[in-house]
Amino acid sequence: MNVVIRRRETSLGWGALVVYLGALALALGICAVLLMLSGKPGLGGLAILFRGAFGQGYSLLDGLVKAIPIFLCSLGVALSFRMQIWNIGAEGQFALGAVGATFVALALPGQPWPVLLPLMFLAAMLAGGLWGLIPAGLRLWLGVNEIISSLMLNYVGILFLEFLVFGVWKDPGSFGFPMTAEFSPGGQIGRMGPALGLNLGKLHWGLLACPLAGVAYGVFLSRTRLGFELAACGEGERVARYANLPYGFLVLLVMGLGGALAGLAGSIECSATLGRLQPTVMVGYGYTAIVVAWLARLKPWPIAFTSFLLASLRVGVEVLELRLQIPAAFGQIMEGAILLCVLAGQFFLDYSVSVRFARLRRADSAAPGLEERA
Amino acid sequence: MAPQQSRTDIASVDVLPQVRLVGVTKRFGAVVANNAISLSLMPGRIKALLGENGAGKSTLMAMLAGRFKPDEGHIEVAGRRADFTSPREAIDAGIGMVYQHFMLVENMTVAENVLLGQEGGFLLDPAAMRATVSALAGRFGLPIDPAARVGDLSMGERQRVEILKLLHRQSRVLIFDEPTAVLTPPEAEALFSALRTMSAQGKAIVFISHKLEEVLAVADEIAILRRGRIEGEFLATEVDSPAELARRMVGRDVVLDIARAPVPLGRAVLDVRGLSGGGLKDVSLNLRQGEILAVVGVAGNGQQQLVEVVCGLSRPETGEVELLGHGWDAFSKHHDWDGALAWVPEDRAGLATCRSLDLTDNLLLTTRQGFSRGQWLQRARAREAARRIVRENNVQPGRIGLPAWQLSGGNLQKFVLGRELLRKPRLLVAEQPTQGLDISATEAVWQQLLAARADMGVLLVTGDLAEALALADRVAVMFRGRVMGQFPVTDAAQVERIGALMAGLSEDAA
Amino acid sequence: MSPELIVALLAAAVQAAAPILFATLGEILSEKAGVLNLGVEGVMAIAAFAAFITCHVTGSATLGLLAGGLAGALLCGLHSLVCQVFLGNQVVSGLALTIFGVGLSNYLGTPYVGIGTEGFRQFAVPLLGQIPVLGAVFFRQDAMVYLGYFAPVAVWFLLSRTSLGLGLRATGEMPAAAAAAGLNPQRLRAFGVMAGGFLCGLGGAYLSLAHTHLWTTGLSGGRGWVAVALVIFAFWRPGRAVLGALLFGGVMAFQLRLQAAGTNVPSSLLLMLPYALTVLALVFSATRARSSARKAAAAPAALGVNIEPEG
Repeated sequence: MNVVIRRRETSLGWGALVVYLGALALALGICAVLLMLSGKPGLGGLAILFRGAFGQGYSLLDGLVKAIPIFLCSLGVALSFRMQIWNIGAEGQFALGAVGATFVALALPGQPWPVLLPLMFLAAMLAGGLWGLIPAGLRLWLGVNEIISSLMLNYVGILFLEFLVFGVWKDPGSFGFPMTAEFSPGGQIGRMGPALGLNLGKLHWGLLACPLAGVAYGVFLSRTRLGFELAACGEGERVARYANLPYGFLVLLVMGLGGALAGLAGSIECSATLGRLQPTVMVGYGYTAIVVAWLARLKPWPIAFTSFLLASLRVGVEVLELRLQIPAAFGQIMEGAILLCVLAGQFFLDYSVSVRFARLRRADSAAPGLEERA
Repeated sequence: MAPQQSRTDIASVDVLPQVRLVGVTKRFGAVVANNAISLSLMPGRIKALLGENGAGKSTLMAMLAGRFKPDEGHIEVAGRRADFTSPREAIDAGIGMVYQHFMLVENMTVAENVLLGQEGGFLLDPAAMRATVSALAGRFGLPIDPAARVGDLSMGERQRVEILKLLHRQSRVLIFDEPTAVLTPPEAEALFSALRTMSAQGKAIVFISHKLEEVLAVADEIAILRRGRIEGEFLATEVDSPAELARRMVGRDVVLDIARAPVPLGRAVLDVRGLSGGGLKDVSLNLRQGEILAVVGVAGNGQQQLVEVVCGLSRPETGEVELLGHGWDAFSKHHDWDGALAWVPEDRAGLATCRSLDLTDNLLLTTRQGFSRGQWLQRARAREAARRIVRENNVQPGRIGLPAWQLSGGNLQKFVLGRELLRKPRLLVAEQPTQGLDISATEAVWQQLLAARADMGVLLVTGDLAEALALADRVAVMFRGRVMGQFPVTDAAQVERIGALMAGLSEDAA
Repeated sequence: MSPELIVALLAAAVQAAAPILFATLGEILSEKAGVLNLGVEGVMAIAAFAAFITCHVTGSATLGLLAGGLAGALLCGLHSLVCQVFLGNQVVSGLALTIFGVGLSNYLGTPYVGIGTEGFRQFAVPLLGQIPVLGAVFFRQDAMVYLGYFAPVAVWFLLSRTSLGLGLRATGEMPAAAAAAGLNPQRLRAFGVMAGGFLCGLGGAYLSLAHTHLWTTGLSGGRGWVAVALVIFAFWRPGRAVLGALLFGGVMAFQLRLQAAGTNVPSSLLLMLPYALTVLALVFSATRARSSARKAAAAPAALGVNIEPEG
């Protein structure tokens, strides 16, 4: 038997869908087995999860709410992944964004929202962006591996957030709980439902940031010179030098923008869903965003879709947690398993595999008739 | 078509061939890389395998080395059928390869490289390893420091390490893939005598090359491979001249001498004075519009550093570099995308193009300023231009939506050259522009360069002397970062000395 | 600070260094073979649980240790599969492994939170343990720390004094050269990744068997990432890995002592120390690698690059 692996010359087209569905099925299968290992119904558990995620209008809305920060963070990391810069610091940049927004909200209480919210966003993007610029600068000027530095800064950023809410920013009226005072109304993003006269659950106006950022991302990459230069930089620093591409500037740009987007997500999250800053704002959206970016192969529409999918998965896992007493970590397992399976499956998008069985030994087969194929 | 001569066994019948290929066919998808090849390698004989790039030489060798399995036919070693399933089996069968790109680990020592995979036990004794390699080197007259890091060695020394690897394994068939491509002429001479020595000791040697003179100088037998088939096999003594060999190789008459009408000289486009640092020593060169200056030398003697300075990648440490009448700083900070400088680098697949981007995007790679209004890209115009380049330079396959990696080296090179000429440069830097190209693509590139020089000065960096002499108006020879000599190609006496200059043998070298 | 306190601090530093050392050595093996494994954090988490549960069920710390190592090797085998067979991006696969591993460890471990385990206890080495100061610091530890004294030597020996190590290094530098020499680079890589995973697993096992003697979630707490960073800091050399691990062990022990002593410094700031120090260590090694012309300070040339199929 002879296995022949060859790089595909034409894209797989609709076959890609089969690959993705297959990988997804495998990952879900693994998760079902894990459920059964801990004495829970495997397929039944998955069914509960899916009903919980997609079964009701409000669960879909809940997924949409969770998708907002994931989508924004994911766009940010996808930007840097495009040029092979491995920013895995979205979680920390998200934390710094929340801190920046909170700083403004606490410093300017009582301002109307048209003043306060833009300032909060600005501060969040600035803080997140600067946090992202640290690993970028270290990489550019000192050659420090950005994977580890950006990851380490996640821990530092989150601990910094905790330092603030456990310490100087702690609300005296919180009965010792680590949280800041509630933002003044002008510092809270409102829900969409009441204004539109619809029942939209927790869905809030922060959603508007998504199409804005998504369209900007798409237009930037496909229509502008800088976006093209970014894609070309993905081939490596040598090509960048050859083609006179602004590599260093682009590294700073993507890390800064990525940080700003994650920071924006952080500010939206604490302003819209919590109304204050507390450590529970950190639920790992920054890591999910990395999973999303890679699953979506860094393309804007798939990022939007996948963000919603993984956000819904989180909603479903919450239901599962309640119904079957499953630890929350099950969601992480699912994300990890899906990413591993899809990563392996993406092999079939780029390569074709054919299995040939050894022919009979024909020593002197000059194989006439084959040459016209040459 | 050349008259087809097909003989399997040329050497005396009483000697058994060391290795025999019997009707070997290998296909890659729809492409037949090797088609029913039969070939015998005899002990004590040097067989040259001659063919253009893409003729199927590397595929054939990869099968002998156990990396690929033939789809049909088989290989015999010492009369017995051998179906290699791994390189290890080929090595054990006594077949050894010296690859064109050395299979050496730069970060390990000579001894470690020679003994890799042949340590003869689980535990290693570094001192004993060094002693083994020293002894081996002494026995075959290939002196080398076994403790040296391979990355610190010259190309000639690295090749010696490769040969020592084979000798240590007691390979009986030694296959050399383009072994002289990285050697100076004296080093090549030394290699040839080593080949003759090893052949005299009964080794069967295969010498793959497309350099006709070399083949005639060293081979006993010559086999010609064309489009995957053996198109002829004969004794070296049956061939009268390189031209005849070329005709047999390509299947038609080849014009290796291309017409070169003189072009009036224009302004100076490049003036390098006393450039030192980064491996360069006191380099002075000048180039004017209307001429081609060939910088020749063995790779790794400072050509790359020179190119990087000229192309703005590294700042000159000491000395003056003037481009189109501007100082280096002023020029490289803000030169225009067109009307200034263009560069066709040696690594066309990994540097000049992005493998996964399509041809339009690869066009934009260096011309994007010309196809944008403000920050907005004008892709429609770029597509039009890419189509024009593909049409005018006969780039195959001509679909501009294909990613770069699907083009062959020659077609990619024609595209890159077309793109760079689109920039209407006044200074063109071309590095090894025809390396790995077949003869027709080479001719096309040469014609492009010759025609281009009317409007620009061309700095041609090449290791191929024939190319330099065919194209250049003047030649500069580099050795260890120094320019050993600079003269017009019409100066026959100097041209005669190029080989010596490339090896650093110069009475007037400072 | 009293002398006794300093000795206790140093002994705690040695103990805290042990898990990081095992993990760093494991990652060195993997990277020397050319595979970047960012899954160490997840591997340590899984191994910590596997070791805990095995010890909890069988009562044998040794079996627990072995289970930890095997779990690590197995999980890294998954990384090997994704990267070597399916040619997945090594960075992404490693991240996925971390997410998966940490999740799985927390998922499986949740019912056991707060349950103690015997694990490894400290004992004094005869004679050596009596040496003043040094004895207390180095030779009144648990069995795994003593194992940790041999591990760097063993890894060094494997890499530079055996044919297997030579093949591993060749594969990490240039797989094609290893293949041309008749070696099987894919198999060598798989070995490097899984043997490395075994060592990382030992590091994880240490956390539940000797460090806490108690199952809690989030035991690895970023140590796996520190190990990945330390490989760079160590210039891929086992000897320097010891230095790096001790440095981190020292900082971790120091901040724990400070917290325990009830200092005024907020604990969040103290907890930041190891992570901030990691970034500093990376900066330090980056500048060192730049200034020194030594090629030995460079990463294996083929690190992170998958072997493409041919034929």
